[in-house]
Amino acid sequence: MFLIDDIVLRLLGISVPGLDTVWLIELIRDFAYKEVGREIKDKIKENRMLYELGEITVEEYRDWEEKLLHKLKFARRVEEMNLNVRMDILRAG
Amino acid sequence: MGSVYVYCVIKDDGEAKSFGDMGFGGKAVYTIGDKHFAAVVSNSPLREYEATETEVEVHKRVVAEVMKKHSVLPVAYSMVFKNEKILLLTMRKARKAMKKAIKAVEGKLELGLKVILPNSNLMDKEEYIKKFEIEFDKIAKITDESKKIRLFSQRLALNAAFLVDRGKVEEFSSQVGRLKDAYPSLKIQYTGPWAPHNFVDIRILGRQHGGFR
Repeated sequence: MFLIDDIVLRLLGISVPGLDTVWLIELIRDFAYKEVGREIKDKIKENRMLYELGEITVEEYRDWEEKLLHKLKFARRVEEMNLNVRMDILRAG
Repeated sequence: MGSVYVYCVIKDDGEAKSFGDMGFGGKAVYTIGDKHFAAVVSNSPLREYEATETEVEVHKRVVAEVMKKHSVLPVAYSMVFKNEKILLLTMRKARKAMKKAIKAVEGKLELGLKVILPNSNLMDKEEYIKKFEIEFDKIAKITDESKKIRLFSQRLALNAAFLVDRGKVEEFSSQVGRLKDAYPSLKIQYTGPWAPHNFVDIRILGRQHGGFR
């Protein structure tokens, strides 16, 4: 069965207000996930820079690095989960 | 033959090279060549290479050692190929882009420059950013290529990478020295030499496999 979903409608130039709002929210959310990843990477670099400048101790540096890497791993996992994919659960099988 | 971790790529002169037991897990670092280019590799299991200081340091140390005698094309951290055959196939696909890239970086080094404001002086950040845009242009004149990089910290007034001819490194260093003298209240971090990560971008597996900047 051919399902006409919001992507097909959008390709045809048909705008469905309700779906468009959902699409926009999803776009903003995806952007936010990417932004979170970038912010964490920036903090990792800043942590390294402060250590190299001698402004934080090696213990402080390692402690922060561990915490930030953990956060980054989590942010990547969320992004990889691809929460945008909507499944038709009722028709499955 | 098992999986191999790739550190960087150099020109192949037809001679197999060995760089000692300095790879991941103390494994031997050697070259796999196709008569055009040679990948600098070590035998390594297919696993996730985390971006921790210890792991990244192994990659950096190998590249630094290779750079002592060769111009290198950098390879992104954590690139593992299932076997030698796949690696050679990938290198063949990227040959055109690599030829272009090696021409651009041969005999040159990447040097980094960061200007860091003291915590107490963040109010004047915009003013310093403008001043260092002018300084960046002055320094860039003696380099082959230059690039401003994202300011990843509130403390940064300049973050830049320069591709410098080996013969001009001294001149470049004296320019950095001039900056240090002119701005004693700022911290100026001069780093390198690095493999030219900021000036070579070959994407083999993506759509832009011919891409090079």
